[in-house]
Amino acid sequence: MSKILLHVNGQAREIDIDPQMPLLWAIRDFIGLTGTKFGCGISQCGACILHLDGVPARSCAIPSSSAVGKKIVTIEGLSENNDHAVQLAWIAEQVPQCGYCQSGQIMSAAALLKKNPNPSDGDIDAAMGSVLCRCGTYPRIKRAIKQASKM
Amino acid sequence: METISRRKFILLTSAAGAFLAIGYVPDASGKEKLISGLTSDPSKVDLNQFIAIGTDGSIVLFNHRPEMGQGTYQSIPMILAEELEVSMDKVEIRPSAANQGLYGNQMVVGSRSIQTEFEKLRKMGAAAREMLRQAAANKWKISIDECRATNGTVVNKSGNVFAYGELVEEAGKITPSDNPPLKKRSEFTIIGTSVARKDIPLKTNGEAKFGIDITVPGMLFASIERSPVFLGKVMAFNKDEVLKMQGVRFVFQTSREVYSQKREGIAVLADNYWYALRARKALKIQWDTQGLENISGETILADSYEGAKGDGDELFGKGDVKSIFKDAKNIIEAAYETPYQAHVPMEPMNAIVSVTDKEATFWGSTQNPNGIRSFLAKIYNLSEEQVKINYTFMGGGFGRRSMTDVVEEAADLSKKSGVPVKVIWTREDDQTQGPFRACSLNVCRAVIDDKGKVTALEHKVIAQEIQNQTGPNMKAGRMLMGGINTDFQIPNLSVRGILKKRHIPISYWRGVYHSTNPFAHECFIDELAHQAGKDPLQFRLDMLDHPRYRRVLESVAQKTNWHATKKKGIGRGIAAVERSGAYFAMVVEVEQRGNKIVPTRITTAIDLGICINPDTVRAQVEGSIVMGLGAVYAGLTVKQGAIVEQNFHTYPLLKINQCPEIITYILDSDAPPDGAGEAGLPTVAPALANAIFDLTGKRVRKLPMNMEM
Repeated sequence: MSKILLHVNGQAREIDIDPQMPLLWAIRDFIGLTGTKFGCGISQCGACILHLDGVPARSCAIPSSSAVGKKIVTIEGLSENNDHAVQLAWIAEQVPQCGYCQSGQIMSAAALLKKNPNPSDGDIDAAMGSVLCRCGTYPRIKRAIKQASKM
Repeated sequence: METISRRKFILLTSAAGAFLAIGYVPDASGKEKLISGLTSDPSKVDLNQFIAIGTDGSIVLFNHRPEMGQGTYQSIPMILAEELEVSMDKVEIRPSAANQGLYGNQMVVGSRSIQTEFEKLRKMGAAAREMLRQAAANKWKISIDECRATNGTVVNKSGNVFAYGELVEEAGKITPSDNPPLKKRSEFTIIGTSVARKDIPLKTNGEAKFGIDITVPGMLFASIERSPVFLGKVMAFNKDEVLKMQGVRFVFQTSREVYSQKREGIAVLADNYWYALRARKALKIQWDTQGLENISGETILADSYEGAKGDGDELFGKGDVKSIFKDAKNIIEAAYETPYQAHVPMEPMNAIVSVTDKEATFWGSTQNPNGIRSFLAKIYNLSEEQVKINYTFMGGGFGRRSMTDVVEEAADLSKKSGVPVKVIWTREDDQTQGPFRACSLNVCRAVIDDKGKVTALEHKVIAQEIQNQTGPNMKAGRMLMGGINTDFQIPNLSVRGILKKRHIPISYWRGVYHSTNPFAHECFIDELAHQAGKDPLQFRLDMLDHPRYRRVLESVAQKTNWHATKKKGIGRGIAAVERSGAYFAMVVEVEQRGNKIVPTRITTAIDLGICINPDTVRAQVEGSIVMGLGAVYAGLTVKQGAIVEQNFHTYPLLKINQCPEIITYILDSDAPPDGAGEAGLPTVAPALANAIFDLTGKRVRKLPMNMEM
């Protein structure tokens, strides 16, 4: 066990954990933010995607120690009032069904649009290609990303 | 069954009398009776109110069915709101308590929620509206006929208006009618419109809580290692070594029952999940696998083909298939294989249970809150009142969350440790432990006369049956024939089941046998059409006089220009199935891209009776198609008695870049509503295989399909 300092959604949080603990579990079980989800544990599904210094990262396969000194943004910190362009587009297109994978989808889409404000179908496929949704919301995700790009 | 008398409501009225609550209870004869009363607190859901209206004008609609993505979180309150005459933006939706005595069966399976609850919910809303109208009539001293309910108010011809909140106390004195007048369909303003779902904004900012997100004070986290070979028994394990690891509090042997068979495991309980998981991976367990390690996909398939030689049990029969086959010169025969599939809800299975001598409490995501309540009461000898169920949003269900096995593990570990325990399955646990969608072999035989008419058809299903997985009874049940269209006007038609029992556990998976049988049946019909030299659509229509089958087939044909000249380089396949009362026909279009066949567009026409929320139905069809297509591309394989595919890298779900264009037409209907939750899944595999034949001339009779050709 050792104390590590994480910067999450604009706040500094000191937690006492094994620094090898994946960032996902540190954020869920120690910082108490549960919007970031566990899906596969081997960075295959994307349910655990958050932003590390603005870049999408799969937190289930990153040791907490390697996030020290970096700016972490989770779904809870994407906007103050659920009004990031991607969130608004997600609501407008009625994307979520069960909703479980959507934090990862939204964080992934937000990072895509930041890098590429006007993505083509191919760009969307490439950026979102390994963020899995069992409910099958893909057609709506595609529409919502295009809508968000126009906001 | 529990009965709440009107007296109990009146007692509560004396507290504050701030809310009008309306619900129903079964009376002594089991017949449901509407009840109403005033209560001080609308959160007292044990009073069974579906509707609570406050003097401040607040309106709470209670949703008694758990939400797993199917959208009844919105469509159940929409039905109440329609008859109550309030708009959805003026209501708050709350989940109800889990209480079968009060709410009836709350289990969400088989696309049944809207089908079974529609009339009941309408009556509930209408009875409340009538009470409010009568209350206004009493206050104005006029006839109820002069009082009109609209948008949360009652108005009269003189232009006077009462908001519902102002009528609550007067309405509380009125006995609700068991048979209130219901609105005509032409008067609907909410039902049939795509009202935005109220759960969706909770699912875009991390606010929605799933079972895995719940924390209970003092709880420990558990991860459980189970035998990779199903039914393996624990011989020995390194308990002392694992107990010494960081954060570990207990190591216990535990078990869960799946369809009458106990499945053993070793659980590590720790202060947090990752410590539990890390210590679990350090477990060394010796399993007695009892020779079951000799079973593989190959032995299972060989056994199924051996079974196909037998007659099994007739599940449906008309005419005399055998005598036609005996005299036939040419019998057309084809066999179709489907693999085991895992449910793979994105939220891995989990449960929190606290068990003490006097009570048991469950927190988590479940399709079956009543089942968990009675299960915990039964195994710990408690009354149902001593069992509390706290159900959350589900991160997917697909049938897997209708079971109580994970709850059993958490309860056992709580009992043993004396604290609440949260069990979380890994993705590997989910994919390798099951229960699964059954694998199946379907063998179809038919005879066509010289006019191209099918004179006899026999369809044999060789598979495990969910409700008969153990014991000596080898008689196949009708469940096995799900999705086989016996409405085809074939004079000699026989469906036979050959029951198999295997050590691999199976259960309900989206569509159940409708997810496998139609692949065989609708492909075989296509093969027969080709043999008869007929268009596969016309061939079906010639054999169908069922109006709803005809309607969906004709609609999808029209929408896809089926009769237009075939475009070069595009293959088209068609299939039609009925599931949970909904009829749907699908056209899949495919193209060759490089060495791969790619489905480019999937068009569905669906007749599901009255549609509550069209956008939700479209979402369900999209989801069913994506899940069905995923099951075309991937399947589980069995080696040495165990499942091979451990996680998404070897058992991939469909990805966004594999998702074709999906177009869904909901056909207008006055018929009572049917189920939408599985519609579209059964038709994907056969319509796709038929499209591949149309493009390439090759028949695909085995799932998963190899799309490289």
